[in-house]
Amino acid sequence: MSEKLKQFVHKNKQLLSMAAIIVIMFAVLSFTVEDFMSYQNITNLLSQVASIAIMASGVTFVLVTGGMDISSPSVMAASAVVGVYFMTATGNLVIGTIVVLIASAALGLINGVAIAKLKMVPLVVTLSMMTVATGLATVLSGARGLPVLPPAFSNFFNTYTVIGMLIVIAFILDYILTRTSFGREIYYIGNNQNAARVSGVNNDKIVMITYVISGACAGIAGIINTANISTARASMGPQSQILDIISAAVIGGVSVNGGKGRVRDACLGALLIGGISNVMNLLGVSDYYTTLIKGSIIIFAMGIASLRANISAKKGV
Amino acid sequence: MEKIQSLELKNISKSFPGVKALADVSFTASPGRVCGIVGVNGAGKSTMMNILGGLLQPDDGGQIFINGQEVRIENPKAATDLGIAFIQQEIQVFDTMLVYENVLAADFDKWRKGKRSLVLDRKAMRKEAQKYLDALGSSISVDAPVYSLTVGEKQLLQIARALSQGGQILLFDEPTSSLSDNEIAKLFEIIGKLRDQGYIIFYISHFLDEILSLCDNVIVLRDGRKTGDALVSDIDKEKLVSMMLGYMVEGSARSSVRKQNDIVLRAEHISGIRLPKDVSFDLHKGEILGVWGLLGSGRSELFNAMLGIDKMTNGKLYYAENGKLEETTSKKLYKHIGYLTEGRHYDGLFLDMTIGNNITSSDIGRFASKFLGTLNTKKENEESRSLMKQVNVKATNEKMIVSKLSGGNQQKVIIAKWFLKNPDILFMDEPTKGVDIGAKTEIQNLIFEKSEKGMSFVIISSELEEIMSLCDRIIVIYEGRLVGEVSKSDFSKDSLMKGIVSQEGNHAD
Repeated sequence: MSEKLKQFVHKNKQLLSMAAIIVIMFAVLSFTVEDFMSYQNITNLLSQVASIAIMASGVTFVLVTGGMDISSPSVMAASAVVGVYFMTATGNLVIGTIVVLIASAALGLINGVAIAKLKMVPLVVTLSMMTVATGLATVLSGARGLPVLPPAFSNFFNTYTVIGMLIVIAFILDYILTRTSFGREIYYIGNNQNAARVSGVNNDKIVMITYVISGACAGIAGIINTANISTARASMGPQSQILDIISAAVIGGVSVNGGKGRVRDACLGALLIGGISNVMNLLGVSDYYTTLIKGSIIIFAMGIASLRANISAKKGV
Repeated sequence: MEKIQSLELKNISKSFPGVKALADVSFTASPGRVCGIVGVNGAGKSTMMNILGGLLQPDDGGQIFINGQEVRIENPKAATDLGIAFIQQEIQVFDTMLVYENVLAADFDKWRKGKRSLVLDRKAMRKEAQKYLDALGSSISVDAPVYSLTVGEKQLLQIARALSQGGQILLFDEPTSSLSDNEIAKLFEIIGKLRDQGYIIFYISHFLDEILSLCDNVIVLRDGRKTGDALVSDIDKEKLVSMMLGYMVEGSARSSVRKQNDIVLRAEHISGIRLPKDVSFDLHKGEILGVWGLLGSGRSELFNAMLGIDKMTNGKLYYAENGKLEETTSKKLYKHIGYLTEGRHYDGLFLDMTIGNNITSSDIGRFASKFLGTLNTKKENEESRSLMKQVNVKATNEKMIVSKLSGGNQQKVIIAKWFLKNPDILFMDEPTKGVDIGAKTEIQNLIFEKSEKGMSFVIISSELEEIMSLCDRIIVIYEGRLVGEVSKSDFSKDSLMKGIVSQEGNHAD
C-alpha cells in the first residue's frame, strides 16, 4: 500500500502541490476575509472560473502537442456573437447554441489547417486569428450592440449548470488526453514530433484536431459568458484574458514546450488564478492594483515552474 | 603568440560508458605539412578532434604537447587561446552581416574605439579583415554582405575567421561536403598556401582521393586505435582502404544462406529530391539485405524516400501482402514495416517518456478499445515487459524514463518497439551505432532470430564487418546510385570496396 501511495505521490506531484496551495489559500482566506467561504461566494467563484478553466483545458491540448493558441478569448467572443446574432434573427435558442459551437470549432479548424497543413507558425497564426475574430465580433454586433436575449437562456445556463458543465467537460477532456490512444499520440507528438511521425502517428491530423478542440472549448466558454450577461459583444473576450488562460495551464504544470501536462491540473490552475482575482475583489482592492499583483504572482509561479523543469532536466542527464 | 613548431599527442585514450572511443593514440604534427585523418564512422576521428578542440577531456595518462610544453585543453576557449581553430563541416556564418564583421566576429570587444567606447573602430576592422583575406588570396570585398557570397566564399570566410583568432593549428572537418568541384580546387589551393606559410593543418575526409592528392601524410584510425601513420607518397588507395578496414572475417556469421523464396518488396527506380537516384531492388521473405555505401552516399535518403518520410519524386513500390506482388504507396507500405532510424534521439525515442510508452508507440492502436479508444494500460505494460525481456533491456521496470538508460539499452528499446509491431519488413539504419560490443552481438542475434521466423530486414551499416556478417546479400550505393550487388558467396571487403573505389576515382576526375 505504501509503495502504491509513493507512486501516486510521485506521479501526481503537480496535482498535490497545487491542491495543497489551494487548500492552504482557501483556509487562510476563510479566516481572514469575511464572506470568502460563504456558499454565495464559492458558487460565484466557480462560475467565474468556469469559462477560463474550460478555455485553459482546450489550450492544454494544443500546448501538449508543442503548439500555441492565443486566440481563445477572441474566438470565444466571436462565436458567441455569431450565435446570439443567429438567435435574435431566428429566435431559436437551441440551434443558436449549436451555432456557437460550430462557429468556434470552424475558427479553430482554420488555425489547425494553417498550422498543421500549411506549416505556419502557431503564434503568428493564432495572433492573426485573434484580431480577425475580434474584428468579426465587432462587425456583427454593430455600433448599437446585439439585443438582450430572452431570460430562458440565462435561466438554463445558471450557476449550477455552469459548474456542472465545468466538471463534466474537464473530466471528459482529461480522460481523452490521458486515457485514450488519441491522447497518447498527442503526448508522442509533443515529446518528439519526428519520432512520432516515424512511429506512424499522423501528426498533421492530430495537431489539427487539437486546434479544433481548443476552438470548441472557447465556444463553450462563449455560451457560459453569454448566459452571464444575457447577450454577446466583442468586448466580452478581452485579449488580455489569454494571459490568465495560458498561465492557468502553466501553473498547472502544462509545459509550453509540449509533451507534459493534464487538463485536470490546468483547471486547478484556473481555480488558483480565479481565487486570487476573487479575493482582491472581496478586499476591495482597486482594479489597477489587482492586475499588478496578479501579474506578479503569475510570473513568480511560472518562474518556479521553469526552474523546477530546469532542475529535473539536469537530473535527467 | 609564439610560433607553433610542433604538436604532439601522446597515449591519448577516451572511454565512454561501455565503449572505448580512443585507445592509446599518439602522433606528432609539424608546420608546413597537411596531415590527413581517415577512418570509417565510429573510428574515433571526431572524438580526437573534440579532444583537441577542448570539448572532451582525454582519460588519465594522455598528454598533449605544444612546442614541447604539456598543455591542458579544458574548454573550447582554451583551445582557441592555444591557437587551435576548427573549420566546421557545416558552414557557420552570419548571413545578414558584412564580410569584415564575420571575419572578426569572434571578438568585437577588441575593436572598440576606446576602453569605455561603445563605438567600433570600423576602419581598423576593415583593414584587419583585408589582411586575412589577402593572406588567403581572396578578392572578396570586405564590405560585401555575406548572403551574397557563394558557399565556397563563405567557407573561405570561416578560414579567415580562424586565422583572425590567431589559429595556427587548423582542423578541417569534411570541408568539401557542400562544395562544387570548382570550389574544391580553390579550397585545395588555399590549403596549399597555408601550408607553405607554416600552419599545421589537419584534414579529415571520407574522400580518399582528396586525402591522396592534398595531404603530405595520413593517420588512419580504426576502432579507436591508430592503424596507420604514413607518408602519402608511400601508399596508394588500396593500402589506405586496407588500413581503414583492417583484417576481417570473410563470410558470414550465419552459416546457411537462406533459400531465396518469395519476393515481399520490390522497389523500382526510386528517386528522391537530391538523393537517391534511380535505385531498384528486390527483397525476399526472411532475407537480410544490406545497403552499403559511404557516409553521404544517399543510404538513409533511400529509406526516407521509399517510406514517405521525404518526398519520392519518382519510382514504384510493390508489396506482397498475401503472397502476390501488387503496386502500393509509401503510406500503405508503412503499415507493414518498421523503421529504425539513424538518429536515436532525433527521431527514434520519446526521451522524456517511459520505456513502456516508447515500446507501444509503434502500434498504439492495438491497445485501444474500439468505441472510445480507451487504452488498456495493463495489457500495454504486460507486453512492454515481455518485450523488454525478449530483447534484454536492462532497467528496473517498464516505467523508467528512457533518457536515463545507456545508449545500448536505448537502442534495444527502439528494437523492442518495432518487434511489438511485428512488421513484415524492418528497415534499420545503423542498428548498432554507438552501442557497446556486448549489446551489438545481442542485437545481431535478435535480427537473425526474427529473420528465421520470416521477418525481412533491410540494413544500413557503415561497418563493413558487421554488414558482411549480418546480411545475405548486399547492394552498394554511391552518390545515390546503385553501383553494385554482391551475393553472399562473393562477400569480401574487396568486392564491396571495389565499387566505391572505382566510382570515387571517376568523381575526382
